[in-house]
Amino acid sequence: MHRFRSVVGSARVRSFGLLALAGLVLSGCAMSLDGDTPQTTLEPEGPAASKIDGLSDLTFIIAAVVFVLVEVGVLFVAWKFRKRKDDTGDELPEQLHGNTKLEIGWTALPAVILAFLAVFTVSTILDLAEDPGEEATRIRVVGQQWWWSYDYDLDGDGVYADGDVVAPGIENPEEYETDIEVANEMVIPAGKPVYLEIESRDVIHSFWIPALNGKKDAVPGRTHYLSLEADEPGTYVGQCTEYCGLSHAYMRMVVHALPEDEYEAWVEEQLAPANEPETAEEQAGLEVFEGRCASCHLVEGVNDDTYDGATVVPGAAPNLTHFASRGTYAGSIFNLWQDTNGNDVIEWAEIGGELNRNQLEAWLRNPPAEKPMAADENRGMPNLGLSEADIDSLVAYLTSLD
Amino acid sequence: MAIVERPSTSETLELEAGPRHATPEDALGVFKRPQGDTGWRSWLFTVDHKRIGIMYGAAALFFFLVGGIEALIIRTQLAAPDQALISADLYNQLFTMHGVTMIFLVVMPIGAAFANFLIPLQIGARDVAFPRLNAFSFWCFLFGGVFFNSSWFIGGGAADGGWFAYAPNTSVIFSPSHGMDFYAIGLQITGIASLVGAINLIATVLNMRAPGMTLMKMPVFTWMSLVTQFLLLFAMPVISVALFLLTFDRLFDANFFDVSAGADPLLWEHLFWIFGHPEVYIMILPAFGIVSETIPVFSRKPIFGYEFIVFSGAAIGFMGWGVWAHHMFASGIGPISVAAFAVSTMFIAVPTGVKILNWMATMWGGKLSFTTPMLFSIGLVTMFTIGGLSGVSHAVAPADTQQTDTYYIVAHFHYVLFGGALFGFVGGFYYWWPKAFGHMLREGLGKAHFWVMLLGFNLTFGPMHVLGLQGMPRRTHSYFDGYGFNVWNLVSTIGAFLIALSFLIFFWNIWVSKRDAKKPEWVSPGPDPWDARSIEWMTASPAPSHNFDHVPVVTHRDEFWYRKYGETDDHRIVRIAAAEDVAQTGDRTDVHLPAPSYWPILLCASFPLIGWGLIFNLGIAFAGGALALLALYGLAMEPADDPDGGHGHHDDHVDHSPTDGSDAAASPTDGDADKEATLVD
Repeated sequence: MHRFRSVVGSARVRSFGLLALAGLVLSGCAMSLDGDTPQTTLEPEGPAASKIDGLSDLTFIIAAVVFVLVEVGVLFVAWKFRKRKDDTGDELPEQLHGNTKLEIGWTALPAVILAFLAVFTVSTILDLAEDPGEEATRIRVVGQQWWWSYDYDLDGDGVYADGDVVAPGIENPEEYETDIEVANEMVIPAGKPVYLEIESRDVIHSFWIPALNGKKDAVPGRTHYLSLEADEPGTYVGQCTEYCGLSHAYMRMVVHALPEDEYEAWVEEQLAPANEPETAEEQAGLEVFEGRCASCHLVEGVNDDTYDGATVVPGAAPNLTHFASRGTYAGSIFNLWQDTNGNDVIEWAEIGGELNRNQLEAWLRNPPAEKPMAADENRGMPNLGLSEADIDSLVAYLTSLD
Repeated sequence: MAIVERPSTSETLELEAGPRHATPEDALGVFKRPQGDTGWRSWLFTVDHKRIGIMYGAAALFFFLVGGIEALIIRTQLAAPDQALISADLYNQLFTMHGVTMIFLVVMPIGAAFANFLIPLQIGARDVAFPRLNAFSFWCFLFGGVFFNSSWFIGGGAADGGWFAYAPNTSVIFSPSHGMDFYAIGLQITGIASLVGAINLIATVLNMRAPGMTLMKMPVFTWMSLVTQFLLLFAMPVISVALFLLTFDRLFDANFFDVSAGADPLLWEHLFWIFGHPEVYIMILPAFGIVSETIPVFSRKPIFGYEFIVFSGAAIGFMGWGVWAHHMFASGIGPISVAAFAVSTMFIAVPTGVKILNWMATMWGGKLSFTTPMLFSIGLVTMFTIGGLSGVSHAVAPADTQQTDTYYIVAHFHYVLFGGALFGFVGGFYYWWPKAFGHMLREGLGKAHFWVMLLGFNLTFGPMHVLGLQGMPRRTHSYFDGYGFNVWNLVSTIGAFLIALSFLIFFWNIWVSKRDAKKPEWVSPGPDPWDARSIEWMTASPAPSHNFDHVPVVTHRDEFWYRKYGETDDHRIVRIAAAEDVAQTGDRTDVHLPAPSYWPILLCASFPLIGWGLIFNLGIAFAGGALALLALYGLAMEPADDPDGGHGHHDDHVDHSPTDGSDAAASPTDGDADKEATLVD
């Protein structure tokens, strides 16, 4: 079905878009010559993205018509009025200086076309800016170099699990009963509105899931709002689209839209504290975590306490409480699980499948070699110099945190 | 030191047999002015607008090589997914430096090159209003550019915050190398160059036009450059303020953009784009002016709807101030602002569209010869149209929230700035080359240059539309396999190398054409190789340092054409004079011109010292400051070199009102020739 949509659903956009592009060289059969385009803007999967797509189609159609008229017109004029070989050059063409009526006409005509487009544009802008109301799930999205965190205000009291992600310790421990905090992957109920409060902890980032809505910048010191809704359950990917320094290319995001019951189950799971170690290997991993990771990463039930006076505090790095319930890590650039269907996206059903162990070990062995970071400036994960035994235990412990 | 032409006196006549420049006088024993118009010193110290224009062009082409090599490295890195030929850090420096170099050190100075070289020639002036300031502008730009690029070697890394340098990513915490210091101070220096140049050229156009050349008789290039200078005049101060804030933040721990101290990073975005959007028109309007000159000449018709072309250019200049926030549709400025800027942005497409249609109408009914300049001009019309249309799709703000910061934007602005500005500029190089250097560039190589560049350009930037719509973000040093980005990126990289090849052809053409001109069988193209219409072609090629033997009295738009062609009783257009008969020979030797000066280059040399000093060691800054003071003193105390200097003859104007169109003032036999118009008050 997805395949079918990708061919038919965007064929009209493609054919018109292509004309407006390099045009003649490209044929209408396919814009992508090499497989899937999971991040495309041309296959909307939610109401906001669909509205934008409809408006884009209108724009592209108008642009394509103007494009053909102008380009064909210029080439035609150039061909028709070319100087002929037998022209001695003695005879000059008529020295026409202008035609005011004609010129007023071709000033007015584009103005009318653009006014037409402006009406739809303005109404869509206002439409998209509407607050979806109380029923919407409210999620705070916080961008930071180079990953995203998502805080859920599940009880609707306007307070998030962690009042301030950079504050030492936890301000409202009681909120843990009702609110959750996750990293890298956002989970939403399909078919229901979600209202995002987008913030940044350092520089400007931009939150973007092309299939669901346009992008919105995460600006430090400000809160920006964005509606998100997926028509159908599915996994949607996006990428930070405001240049944010060294690893801008490696700051990605994933949204899983789940059916209502699965979403409820996920919420219950996330509200629970982290799993206790069950094997000796996992217990060893917990000890490595407490010794080496806990100054930045948080596992609820393990290191909820305040680390006073520390330069880095828990919460400065992704919350790992339910690490293994996610498909990706490190700014969603690495797959935690094998991509069994080979579509380059770790979908919901693939989570908890076969572990992508080599990549996880490589990451723990030397993170800056896997992803450009400025760890010596407290921006990103440093090389902790873990032993192979430590890595094995950590992998065991982390993958038990589902 | 404005150029004031005065009625000839007996003193000046004494100079006829002597050197072209007056003898320098001593002042305080130290400030002799340099002399001569050959050798390297004659270039370093020149105040001749044509030489300064040529130096602007040469320096810009040098920086074009630098920025082009940066682009080729970028494209090589992106040729395939998950490549790591260069580090993310280096990639970020490269795309930042590529953007800043191409905008501030290539496109803007090429516009300045044409404006400097052409405006005085097109309006029938001897030079610009303030020739020494003109030299100052050039050296200021060049030293600013050199300073900026020196960060590669001594900055611990070049600028890495993008040309747009959004706060707070440019603060010391997030960009700890000195690169952004070089950015802030370097652009401050080149900004001074642009601002001073703008004031100079505005004064020139408004005050120094030949008798009879009303504003509405000016060539379109001069008109578009005039609009450009006004845009510079008002836009540069905005970026100057923003850069000062950034400099103070970075060097002196100010808190203008420190969010934890209460700053709002959107302040920088607004300041930057209030400058940054007019900047787009600063870059494109001169190219619009160029094709408005070439298309009529090679269609053998006057420009269609001169008034519409001129006023639409002016309208773009005004409307360009009301559209800046379309760069910020995703930045959270609120739906009302977004709606307002979406609508204003759409309507700026109207005057732009008018130009396209008027150029088409100019070609309509003409007899088109597809010379190299004409090919590049048609290239601009067709390629810029694509950039204009993708621009309209950004004006549709909801669509833009999908497109912004993707490769679709990269495609768009390259179609505007490369497909628009650069095609126009390259066409301009081919067109005015003989006026600057006395010989043509080879047409065959020129056409090869055009077709390879057209193909390479479209292969490079056409696929970027597709990549952007498929969701590939900009400014990313790498992309993943499996997102459908691979093939188009490879095509784009191949295209980039074709563009490089096309410019190798261009540089070869420059070299080989110069060699041709030294051969014994070479024939001079004469003053008017293209059968042109405007008065810069009415003097010898290359244009002599005094431009015109006699300042022409202008009675028509396309004055030169009207001197060559006339209408018969039965309304047929016939040639009434050969170009050689109408054009001036340029061999007059008694025209007083301002002498060269040491001080502009010395004053500008102090700026990089001050910049390096602010970054590394205040001692160097004080040394630079001392040099600046010395140079300013030298400038102020430099002796006037004209024989009656310092007295002024403001009461002695000879007022030449436009006459009935006879060629009286231009006739070499005119006994009154020495009593030329006073051009400036």
